[in-house]
Amino acid sequence: MTITLAFQLAIAGVSVGSIYALVALAIVIPFKSSGVLNFAQGEVVTFGAYAALVLTQLALPYPVVVLGVVVLGGVGGIVAERLLIRPIVQAPEFTLVMATFAIGLLIKGLISLKFGDSAASLDSPFDPEPLIALGLRFNLTSLWILACTTFVTLSVIGFFKYTKMGKAMRAVSVNAEASRLMGIRVSSVYRWAWGISTAIGALSGLLVAPLIGINPEIGHLILRGLLAAVIGGFTSIAGAVFGGIAVGLIETFSGVLIGSTFKNLVPFLLLMLLLFFRPHGLFGTAEAKRV
Amino acid sequence: MKISPATLFGVVAVGAFAIAGSFMGSYPIYLLSLAMINVISALGLNLLTGNSGQISLCHSSFMALGAYVSSLLTLVFGMPFWVAIPCAVLIAACLGTLLSLPTRRLRGIYLALATLGFLQLVQITLEEMADLTGGVRGLKVPQPTIFDGQPLNYYSIYLVVLAVCGLSILVTRNLLASRIGRELNAVRTSPHASQALGVSVDRVKLIAFALAAGYAGLAGGLLAVVVGFIDPNEFGVSAALKQITFIVVGGLGSVMGSVLGATVLSALPELLRPVKEYSDVIYALILLGFLIFVPRGLAAALERFALSPIRKRVWRRKSL
Repeated sequence: MTITLAFQLAIAGVSVGSIYALVALAIVIPFKSSGVLNFAQGEVVTFGAYAALVLTQLALPYPVVVLGVVVLGGVGGIVAERLLIRPIVQAPEFTLVMATFAIGLLIKGLISLKFGDSAASLDSPFDPEPLIALGLRFNLTSLWILACTTFVTLSVIGFFKYTKMGKAMRAVSVNAEASRLMGIRVSSVYRWAWGISTAIGALSGLLVAPLIGINPEIGHLILRGLLAAVIGGFTSIAGAVFGGIAVGLIETFSGVLIGSTFKNLVPFLLLMLLLFFRPHGLFGTAEAKRV
Repeated sequence: MKISPATLFGVVAVGAFAIAGSFMGSYPIYLLSLAMINVISALGLNLLTGNSGQISLCHSSFMALGAYVSSLLTLVFGMPFWVAIPCAVLIAACLGTLLSLPTRRLRGIYLALATLGFLQLVQITLEEMADLTGGVRGLKVPQPTIFDGQPLNYYSIYLVVLAVCGLSILVTRNLLASRIGRELNAVRTSPHASQALGVSVDRVKLIAFALAAGYAGLAGGLLAVVVGFIDPNEFGVSAALKQITFIVVGGLGSVMGSVLGATVLSALPELLRPVKEYSDVIYALILLGFLIFVPRGLAAALERFALSPIRKRVWRRKSL
């Protein structure tokens, strides 16, 4: 493998990986605050892609489409949290896992009902001609995805660090009961955590659509997002982003190094090995529980 | 020997199904066989998830193992199905044990993720080993034969499935009434308390996984024989979710629940035939509705509104 090829692959890996990073962020944020792992996040990505398709067909300018998708995703998440998650948030973990799966199935079912199973495509608003610098080709769409991911990551980190709601979320993730006693409205923390995460999920759908096309099966991205979250340790924002990029790189390089037949096995082998040996990931903290 | 009313009811039901089957055409019999296969797989999953409280998203993978191993044993080594299926059950149970060795240390969502990863591994392996498994194009399963080499007709296959299903229900009932059944429930209710009382939680989880995988392997082997064709897509995430829906709708941790849930939901696609395009949405709504409003499932509802009033009335009459 030449150096140029390696760099070219690295660029491709990072740009795919930054989508995974967004999905991982969307998984980690509600998990951190409410302890619910949202298996429907993949379908939120699908929702974002279709929302982008519909808004684009209305001939809206791209910035409006982006804003529209983010707002729709956020509002949808807040509504779903209020109607479906809040009534069972105290239920056993099994119930919550199945409920989010069911929500995902519902979203997917509604989408294929409305749009059918056939694929659609969404053109990127950017010039398909790549930029050439230092002998490497930079795809403008990929650069835009990277920029979005960087922006979202920094905003999320800033949000958790500096804003009142972000601090409240961190407090609730440590101890919901104590936070309630300190005057934090836990239900509104859950609402915002869900809203933010589904907004990010929908945004990643909009970003990924030009790369892989639009069909009801886009939701499979969640498997990569989950792997990224596991690598990052499920509780760390920076870890999730790092995990996403790592998954993207592993995927791109294993395709070249191992061959296409068994490259699909690599992410799942990695997922299981990590869970067996470091279930709290590379960045997370082990959960200690008093019996 | 004292025969309980439930056993009597079971024997009568199996006999009734056997007789009723002889009057039915091939399609109703096919549907009934599928429903019974679903009952067998739900029984296994319910032991693992309902009784011992372990989330498993890879139940369909063990079904796939049962189906592929038994079919390949028949195809490659020429084994008759009544040898191949028990072999497949053993292999599935062994793999379940192997999977459980590392996963039994995981709880909740981490277990869900590990089993989800295992499901993907199995599915990708089945798809990529196309020389052996036929890959995504699927595998045609040879017709089952018995001693004289004559292929069995659909009614005889139905009788086999019926007998196996009846036996599975009986075995599961007895299992739950025995020491291991109490241990499974204890591990779900409180792993720490059961450990303190001398129940080896690790061993119980291992047994639960092995049992669930065995039941799934049995169901898979029978499915291959009944349908005559298998492909990896039938055993994906959606199949695993479907099996979980069986036990959620029926009732977690109850044999009656497995039977009710699997039969009702197996009939559902037929009932929904006129509104086929809505079936995914309806399925999701049923699952959500039961999780939120009927968390103990149909079995508990039946017990509360039908069985227990009847029992009370009978008891009152006796005491008068």
